[in-house]
Amino acid sequence: MTRTPHGWDIDGPVQAEIFVVWLRDDHLELTGPCGPAPWLVELGAIDHPVDVVDRIVRDVVGEPLLVHSTSWRRDREAVILSFVVVIENSTVGDMESAPIGRAALARGEATAAPRVIATEAVVEHGLRHMAWLAKDDPVVAATLPAAWRDVLSAYVPEPFRALG
Amino acid sequence: MSDGMLTLRCACGWEAHGTEAELIVAATEHGRRVHNMTATREDVLAMIVRPDDAAAHHARLDRPDGDVA
Repeated sequence: MTRTPHGWDIDGPVQAEIFVVWLRDDHLELTGPCGPAPWLVELGAIDHPVDVVDRIVRDVVGEPLLVHSTSWRRDREAVILSFVVVIENSTVGDMESAPIGRAALARGEATAAPRVIATEAVVEHGLRHMAWLAKDDPVVAATLPAAWRDVLSAYVPEPFRALG
Repeated sequence: MSDGMLTLRCACGWEAHGTEAELIVAATEHGRRVHNMTATREDVLAMIVRPDDAAAHHARLDRPDGDVA
């Protein structure tokens, strides 16, 4: 889950980081136009983050099942809004994909954000957030296929832990 | 890739080769469509890797002190 360290890159004070997730057999995988690496998108001053992410996912990847903002943090000299986007298997196509491993969450202090937040921790947090939504949010519960809910049951719901 | 071909790499892994004009079109479209970026011609030109750049980069790597002066 790494990005090319050198090359043309996005900037701007607010950025979206999209994790496109799908269920392969009995486990979750990351994919997207950047493969399993975080997919970064610039957000303009008048853009609504969810609208931009939904539009760009539809345009580049295909119709998503779910688009959910799961955390934020300060990084890359910007505020990064993280999104988990759930897609169906048929939408993956030839995009590169990789299994998602489990990771420890980034832990902050009582009144301070974690000093370092790894991408894996952001994904872990996002999936715990989805696990909570699958139990608490009727729309998410109705939209996620049953097999998804089974896999998410392994994630301890933890909806509101701030990542930044 | 033929001699003189220019290269542009995006941090997401996307890469394009071509003439300056081709790269400006391709990168502008990639930035808009995939990253919601509004890239100017100057933005793209600044990130193009030219054959001379690559040669200088390799020369730096070949010298123990990393100095090409």
